[in-house]
Parts: sequence; C-alpha cells; structure tokens
Amino acid sequence: MKNIKNLFVAAMMLAIVPAATAQNVDEIIGTYFENTGGMDAWKSLESLKMSASISQGGMEIPIEMYQTKEGKMSITANFQGMNMTFMAYDGETAWNTNQMTMAPEKLTQEQADNMKLQANDFPSPFMDYKSKGYTVEYVGEETMEGTPTHKIKLVQEPIMVNGKQEESITYYYFEAENFVPIATEVSMAGQTMKDTMSDYEEVDGLYFPFAMTMMGGMPLKIKSIEINPEIDAKMFSFPAEAAAKE
Amino acid sequence: MKNLTILLIALVLAPFASSAQETTSLKGKELFGDMRARHIGPALMSGRINDLEMHPTNSRVLYAGTAGGGVWKSNDGGATFSPIFDDHVQSIGVVTLDPSNPDQTIWVGTGETWTRNSVSVGDGLYKSTDGGANWKEIPGFENSERIASVIVNPNNSKEVYVGVLGALWSDSEDRGVYKTTDGGATWSKILYVDKTTGAADVIMDPKNPNVLYASMWQFRRSGWGFSSGGDKSAVYKSIDSGATWNKIHNGFPAGDLGRIALALAPSDSSILYSVLETEDKSKNGLWKSTNSGQTWEHLNNDFGLVVRPFYFSRITVNPKDPNIVIKGGLYGSISKDGGKTFQNLGSMHSDIHDIAFHIDNSDQMFTGTDGGVYRSWDGGVTFEIVENLPLSQFYHISVDDATPYNVYGGLQDNGSWYGPSSSPGGVNARDWNSVGYGDGFRVLKHPTKNIVYSEMQGAENVWRYDIDLNRTKTIQPLAKKGDAELRFNWNAPMAVSTHQPDRFYMGSQFLHKSEDMGETWKIISPDLTTDDKNKQDQSKSGGLSVDNSGAENHTTIFTIAESPLDQNVIWVGTDDGNVQVTTNGGKKWNNVTKNLTGIPANTWVYHIEASVHNKGTAYAVFEGHTSGDMKPYALKTTDFGNTWKNIISPDIQENAFVRNIQEDYENEDLLFLGTEFGLYVTIDGGSNWSHFTNNMPPVAVHFIDMQKQTNDIVMGTHGRGVIIIDDISPLRELNSSILEKDVHFFKTTPFTMVEESGFAGSFGGETQFVGANKSTSARIVYYLKKRHTFGKMNIEVQDMQGNKIADLNAGKSKGINVVTWNYITKTPKLAKSKTMAGGAFTPKRVPAGKYKVVLTKKKEVFETTIDVIYDEKTPTTLAARKEQEALTAELFDMVEELAYVVNEIEETQKFAQKMIEEQPATTKTAQKLNDELEALRTDLVITTGDNYVETAEPELRERMADLYGSVASTFDAVSPSRKDNYILIKEEMVAAKKRYEGIKNKAGKKFKEDVAKTGLTYPTMPTLEEFLND
Repeated sequence: MKNIKNLFVAAMMLAIVPAATAQNVDEIIGTYFENTGGMDAWKSLESLKMSASISQGGMEIPIEMYQTKEGKMSITANFQGMNMTFMAYDGETAWNTNQMTMAPEKLTQEQADNMKLQANDFPSPFMDYKSKGYTVEYVGEETMEGTPTHKIKLVQEPIMVNGKQEESITYYYFEAENFVPIATEVSMAGQTMKDTMSDYEEVDGLYFPFAMTMMGGMPLKIKSIEINPEIDAKMFSFPAEAAAKE
Repeated sequence: MKNLTILLIALVLAPFASSAQETTSLKGKELFGDMRARHIGPALMSGRINDLEMHPTNSRVLYAGTAGGGVWKSNDGGATFSPIFDDHVQSIGVVTLDPSNPDQTIWVGTGETWTRNSVSVGDGLYKSTDGGANWKEIPGFENSERIASVIVNPNNSKEVYVGVLGALWSDSEDRGVYKTTDGGATWSKILYVDKTTGAADVIMDPKNPNVLYASMWQFRRSGWGFSSGGDKSAVYKSIDSGATWNKIHNGFPAGDLGRIALALAPSDSSILYSVLETEDKSKNGLWKSTNSGQTWEHLNNDFGLVVRPFYFSRITVNPKDPNIVIKGGLYGSISKDGGKTFQNLGSMHSDIHDIAFHIDNSDQMFTGTDGGVYRSWDGGVTFEIVENLPLSQFYHISVDDATPYNVYGGLQDNGSWYGPSSSPGGVNARDWNSVGYGDGFRVLKHPTKNIVYSEMQGAENVWRYDIDLNRTKTIQPLAKKGDAELRFNWNAPMAVSTHQPDRFYMGSQFLHKSEDMGETWKIISPDLTTDDKNKQDQSKSGGLSVDNSGAENHTTIFTIAESPLDQNVIWVGTDDGNVQVTTNGGKKWNNVTKNLTGIPANTWVYHIEASVHNKGTAYAVFEGHTSGDMKPYALKTTDFGNTWKNIISPDIQENAFVRNIQEDYENEDLLFLGTEFGLYVTIDGGSNWSHFTNNMPPVAVHFIDMQKQTNDIVMGTHGRGVIIIDDISPLRELNSSILEKDVHFFKTTPFTMVEESGFAGSFGGETQFVGANKSTSARIVYYLKKRHTFGKMNIEVQDMQGNKIADLNAGKSKGINVVTWNYITKTPKLAKSKTMAGGAFTPKRVPAGKYKVVLTKKKEVFETTIDVIYDEKTPTTLAARKEQEALTAELFDMVEELAYVVNEIEETQKFAQKMIEEQPATTKTAQKLNDELEALRTDLVITTGDNYVETAEPELRERMADLYGSVASTFDAVSPSRKDNYILIKEEMVAAKKRYEGIKNKAGKKFKEDVAKTGLTYPTMPTLEEFLND
C-alpha cells in the first residue's frame, strides 16, 4: 500500500512537470523504462525473438528476428517458401543471402564494423547511455503523429558511411502522455528517415511496440515476441565458416 | 511487478486524459493528420539559386541556398541534392559553414539578395549544430529581410559577422554589419550607414581574421521602379575586427556608386577584386587592388562585368590561383590573367549568380543560375545541369479536366509549361511540355479545345498554341487607331470563361474581351486603374544603371474574374489598389475600392476569386509588400462589393502577405490561402486558420487552383514547383462534432479500379527528380481523436459477408489518417522449390462491389463501407471481366493445391528418410516411396539452378504460375491462347494428382504397412485448409 501511494505521488509529479519546466531528459528516459517494465527487468533481458510480417503487393512475408545481448542478430524472411537471410551478424562477420543464387555472401567490413558499434545497444541504446559514451539532449516539445511529444537527441558512436566517418544522430519522440517513443528520425546521406512505433503490448512484464515502420516507412506487424528464446547460434554465423568450424 | 506497471501507466495517463479532451479545436497541425502534400516539380528547368557553399575539406559535400526553395545539400559531390530547411522560410541569402566544425555547424541567412522585382523575403538568421537536421532561429534578425553575408572566424567559432542587406521596399534600421563573440547569443551592430544603405558583401582575410572588408549599397525598389546607387554606397575596411572602419576608395571615380562586389584571393590576401557601378560608364566594371585595398586600378568594363549590377554582383577567385577570377553575370565571365581579359563561361542557363570551385581540382566548378545548379569538369567550358532540384518558380498555375489532369503554368525566366499531375513511374522531366518562351506567367487551357494560351513578360507576346497542330499564333491585344497606349503588367492577367469556351479576356489598364480566341479584341471598360502618371516612368528605372525590363510596369490590371454563375458579372483588380466590378458585361463599372475595409490605399489587388456559391460573393486578397507592408489581407463580399468582411485571423503569421485564395466548390466555409510563407486553410470561413505543413514547406504560394473532379488542391509555388494536396474532401466534413468522436470515417465516393498496366522506363532516375504520383488506390480516411499507442489496432477489408480480403497498415496519428487499398487480396501460396516463380507475385484483384472496412482498436470495432467500380473508360465487357475473375480464381486455387500436394510429398519424403535412418526394417519400402515421390516432385517443381541465368527448365509449378500471372494481371478478356494453355496445364495437374494417388496407393500403402509393423504412428498430414492457413 505504501509503495502504491509513493507511485501515485511519483506519477502525479511526472504528470505535472512537463507543463512547468523543460523536461529533464534523464527523467523522460527513466520514466520510459519504468513505464515499460522497469529497468531491472530490461537489464535481465538476454535475447529476443520477434516474429513479424511485412505486407507487400498482396504478399505476407513472414520475418523472424533474433537479437542477443552480445549484439548478435539475424533477420530472415520466407519468400515463396524459400528462407533467406536479410542480415545476420555473429559479432565479427555480417552477411546476407544473395537473391539470385540464394547463397550466403558477406557484407562489407564497413557494415560489419558498424554492426559491432551497435553491440552494446541491446535492448535499448538509452540503457546506461552515459557509460557507453553516448550523449542525449532534450530538444523540446514537438507535435509528432498529431500529438505532443518530447524530442530527444541521441548521439552514438560515429559510423562509417561509404568510407567517410559520420556522426550517428537519432531523434526520439517520446509521447508526452506516456513517455514511450512513438517515432524516430535518422538523417542518412541528407535524407531524413522517419519511423513510427505503436500498439505497445506487454510480454512477460515488458512493453514492446507491436506495430512499427522500418527503414523510413516500411510497415512491420509483429505477431509475437519471445523473451530469452532458445537460440541455435549457427543462425548468426556465416554458413561456410560455420561449416568449417564443425 | 506487472500490475504495478500497469497501474503506474494508468496513473500517468489520467491527468492528461482530461486535458486532452479540451484541446479539440478547429485549427492546428493535428487537424490535417497525415494528409500530405506531394511535389511534382518540374525540375528540368530548376529555379533561381542565390548562393553556393562548399565544404572546406570534404569534396562530396556542398550546399545550395536557393532564391525561393530553401537550402539543399549534396552528399555526393553535386550529383544529387536533398532539401534540409523545409520547416523555415524558403528564400535564402547565404549559407555558411563554420570552418572549424563544417560537418555540424551551418549558418543560414535568409532573404535572397539579387533584388529583382519578384524576390521573396527572408525572416532572419538560422543555425544548425547537427549538420542541418535541426535549426534554431538566432534572435535579433527577425526584421533583417535579406542577409547577404555570414562570416565565421576560422580560428574562433564564436566570432561571427553578419551582413544585413535589409529591406528592399522600405527604410530599415536593421541594415548593417553585426558581430557576435559568443556564438550568436548577443550581437552588436558594428557598421551602419543609414536606413537606405545595406551590407552587400562582407568578407574576411582568412589569414588574418582581424581584417574585414564590407561593401555598402544604397538601393530601393517600389512597385513601379528601382534605384541602385547614391552617395552612401562605399567600400569599407577594418583592421581591428570591426571596431573601426575606413573607406578605401583610393583610385575609384568620384560621385555616386551603386552595388559593389568584393572578393579576396584566398591564396594571396593582398589581392582584392571589386566590381563597381559608377556614374561614369567607362569606369564601371572590374577594379583590382594588389595592396589590400590601399589603391585600386580599373581593369575591365566588358558587358559581362557591368550588366545588371543589382542582379549580378558576385566575384569568385580560384582558391589556388589569384589570377583565375569569375564574375557572375548574364553568361558569367572568366579571366585567367588576373582580370585583364575575360571570356564567357560555357553554355548553360543564363543569369549566373554564384560560382564555387571544387576544393581540390580547379577544373571542376559549380554555378548557381536562374535555372538551377550546373557542374563543369573542364574549367568552365562545358556545363551540365543538376537534375534533381525542383525549384521552379511559378507565377501562376491552372488545371484542366483531363484524366489525369494537367497542370499549366509560367515560370520566372523559364518559360511556360504544362505537365501531367500523375504519370507512369512518376512525373518525370520528359513529361513536361514547353508552351512559351521568356518569363512565363499565366497559362490557360481552352475549356473545350486542345488549345493553350500562354504569354511572356508584359504581354510582349501572348500565344495561342494549338497542341494538335503544334502551331502558335500571337494574339495579344494591340492598340488600334484612337486607343491610348496600352499598359500591361509584367505578369499580365488573362482569363477564360466557363460560359463561352472561345471567350478570352486580357487586362491592360483596360479590360479586353475576345469572343474568338484572341482573333479580334474589344475594350469593354474605361481605364480601371488610378492612372497615376508618377508611377508610369519606367524608362528611368534602375538608378545608376538604367534597367527598363518591363518588370516595373505599373497602374495596370492584375486580376480578372468572370463569375461562374453569371457571365455579366466580372471582377477586376489592379496593381494600384482598385477593385472594380460590372454586373452587365462591362457596360457599367462600379469602383468599389472605397468600400474595402482595413486595406491601405493603393495596395496591390493580387487576386479576386468569384464565388461558385453566390454571384454577389467574391474574395479579394491584397498585398502591399512592394511598399514594405507585409501584412496579410483578405476580404469577402456577398453583395457585389458594397460591403466587405475581413477573413484574416491572428493565426496567420503577421508578415505572411497573401497572393491567392481558393474557395471550395462545395463547402463555402472551406478556404485555402496562398501566402509568402506557405498555405493556410480554414474550415470555418476564416475565423480560424491553420498552417498546412505536411510535406509543405513555407514556400511562397503564388497561385492555387482546385481540380473539380478530384478535389485536389494544386499550388503554384515560387521556388518548389507544383505542390498538390490530393482530395481535400475530408476537410469539407470536418466540424466540431466530428472532432469530439473517438473515430470517424469520412465519406467516400465510389473508387474506380484504374485499368492501366503500361510501362514506365526509369532511365535516369538515379539522379533525376521524379514527382510523386496520385495514388489510384482506394483512400480510406478517418479521424482519430487521440494517437493510438497502446494495444492492438488493425484495419482490414472484408467482403459484405465478413470474410477477410486484405490487411491494411493502419495510421495511428491523432487527426486525419489516410490509408490506401489497391483493390488486391493476396498472392497464392506457392509450392516450395529451388527458385522463384515470377507469375505468383501477382495478387488476385477483387471484383467491383461493396466492401467493408473494419477498424479494430483494442476491443472496439468501427466500420465503414466503400464502393469499388470497374474502369468505365476501358472497352472490356462485364462478361469478359467475370470470365477473367473466374479463371483467375480457378488458377489461384490450382497453384495453391499444387503447393499443398508438393508439401505433402516433401513431408512424406522427410518421414521416409527418417525411417530409413531409424528403422532399417522399413528401408526398402521407404526408399521406393521416396524415390517415386522424388521423381514426381522433380516433374512438379524446379529442383536445380538459381534465380538468374543458371536457370532450370520450368516445371508444372512455374508454368502454372506464369499462366496464373498472365490471366490475373490482364484487364482485357482472357485470350484464346491463354485458355488453350489452361486446358494443357489443368490436364497436367489432373495427371500429376492421379500419379500421386497411384504412388500413395501402391508404394505409399506398403510403406505405411511397414511403419505400422514398427509400432510407430504414421504422421497425420495437414488438410488443404490447414495448410493454407498455416
């Protein structure tokens, strides 16, 4: 009972603050983690499996995504009954499936290096952002998706783009009403890519968006999310190397 | 834990929920939700560039500051550009990178500085610290109107100098040179001459940042004249970071000076170049100092150096060689001998305003012209245009009633054009057709014939162009015996009639009417202007350099509107403030100017819109920017001009002067206002206005038309080409009771399934601008009172029996959401194989009919019904459509049945192989079954090769999918050849199934018996339905 009362007070405080002063950025991020399951629960997350689908031209393309705390990842799609890897990374090598031969091919070292930089971003780049050397900044209140949001600038490690180093800046829009991100914006080669998130639902105590867009507007519907799923490590590794190691 | 989290969220939400309810209003950004504008260019002639800026160390990066289209950045060495300043005023004076932090810190001074008659205005100074993603306005420059220079000390990012040229049409104390030493927080004015004299160029010695030079220019423009020069124009130098300034005129001729260009050779700071406009023509042109401005020597007064100083006053010195100098001009002039002799730059669009050299290679350069950015690879001999800068500057646009409709319009220095509002593959450069030379203005389609009227400046030529014959005739009204000399505006008005298709109006100081498409003309009014002689002496306009281009012609008619309800009601507005109306076809004119309320005398009547709702109703917009009055003005009358009501509200930016208004054809309270800073919309007759900003920059909107069949709002912008908002009909319905609903579906009219399947070559698309098309899909538009963030929300299309047809991607925004459906259901589930089968990527279309749209939001369900109809323009009969649909459905099912059979074969094979490994007793029958099935499988699907050239011969799956694709995608009757092929495929399918049954009954049965003996259970195979739903 006492805890609930404290929570109530805390919640009222949070609710009042936005009108009064410029938001404290750590408060927004903290509230986000708290509202979506709590920092402890987020930190205990080891890996995720998301089953999703993309609708395109009458096709429902099933997608499976795996991500681990170590930064390994795999995104596969099923296309006319054939499985192909859109992107996989085992911590060293990034690769995908060539759509002509359906054989695996390595991505460039630059792409793999950029993937390595993301290894510490699971499940969220905002988690312990200071110790990662990231900076966040409260930009201001802005209307996004028709609703008031807090706009936050996140600067991560610089990445390489076509041989030139570029700052990695992402803007997050946290809905003022509930402190969850509903949109992001990334500038890539002069073009701003906006993506949105909605349909937040709870999975084992954590809240995830079940509808989102990727790569600047491609809609993705998430069917299910599995927390700490069973993982066959082979899916991350480049098949030829995986075979050679066996 | 879980419960507490939910509680916490609920508690956080609670206080907001109550306040959110109060915010529903009839204005604001959320009103438009995701109704987005689309841009169709054109970019092939691009538009005026004011300033170019090169990144100092990364040759891939450069910027273009444009006259009316914002700031554009290239990340690929100038091959393509993207806009980075779309939330702010689009008229740009200067773009400057901080030399110490050029990737992040960008300064933009707004307000173009080549002060022609048609320039837009700026509203201050902006800074980005993240490479252009976000911008902050720097306070203190709100009234600067035009910023010519921003200089950052290369050794100290916090020390910045700003040269304010200032107001073009009025006095201003904001002019002068400003300095900050704290990165822009505080500013001091360090050089000021007077209210008439602004900073035209401010430069710094990069090797000694204490040394500054500034050229000050005395200038003024009015609606009827221009003046360059005076005794205040001068060149100043400071050697103490701007604390003190001294004139450096040693060698210059005495007397008044005009606009002065200044440049310093980056490789040798002692060398300065200057271009002067003086009282003595022989002393105009290029001057040079080799001792940092102590003395000057006159080198050259070639035409290319002295032409139109107010328009061309930029000198660029090659960063590596002080003797290579380029001066902007009509053609651009390059010297390779330190300014002694010049030659024209290579062929490109005329009117070169800025030149920038590649940082490493002097053979490469960029120019900014009246027609976009050009690149040269050979030292300025040959130029190629950047093809993706849609900066076209329309003075006027109109539309026709074709499908898709065409947009017509005229451009600053880029002629007259028409092009389609949609085109296969998008609206490309090649879709646009030239229909006039010179500066283009009004372009009107004959209401019924394939004829276009167009004009050039001052009605020097008015063309009647017969598109079918590809033949023109000039038809501008000319004076006949006894007529006064005709005065036409630079942008001379013309109008066609909805009552008489061959009728054509033009306005000089008189209203001219032709009933035969311009063959014969009749003057049907007295001089409708003030005829103020003081505003008619354009031969002396220009100041030190006479500039009588016709751009300043004044006391002319500017707008003509014949009532769509009564051909005898004609409205006329003049550039000197008169509103005149006749109700009897011109026999008698009523000057209603005295009845206007709140409009200063002689304020330009920019547009009159005669209402379709009542013949006594009209809207008039006024704009006084050529007298320095930037306020928005719009009035409405309902009694032929006897009384007028102000329809401007304080929602409109105070300096957003108005050039155009468009009323909706159905809802009298729905109005669209074209201002200097973009589009405003009201849904309550002008009590509240909302700025439309969805993919719509605050660009100057010169003209708005509404296309009746599509309800599209079409805008001619002066800097971003044609911008369209598709189907605004939801705005007609919007009112406060709808805004109170959680979900509201807007009404729709039946959607036509457009039956087009042509080609769209995308050649050149890598670097060319391609305009967005109007979607031909069904548009499902709904209003959400609140943004949907938590819980499931889906939209699906169902048939009237409630069977799901298609899943759509729901919009979740607060406000209006637009979701499209392209009349398709799904693609067939295809048998697994080694390769893809192209035909099976074709989705099945729905038949015409009624469909339900079902929106599920958590547990609540909202529904609407839409009508889908066949394309009546095509010759396909209903019987043929039904036959095509039936055969498509049959083949669709056959493709899926084959997938099912192949799946069962593979599952059986898998089990057989497993048994071979684990139960040797079954090996014989298992192997036989497996082999027979494999032989069958390889006849059904491809099992080798790849998706490119290592292809295997097509099997039944691939041939069946191809036939399905061919039949499913046709809009025509199914051809006999396809029917013959169908018989073949179907027979093969029947035979394949029979063969499969045979295998199952013999080898399969034996294997099953063996399995039974082991005591193991034979796996259950999914039914067809289970397989398809998996």
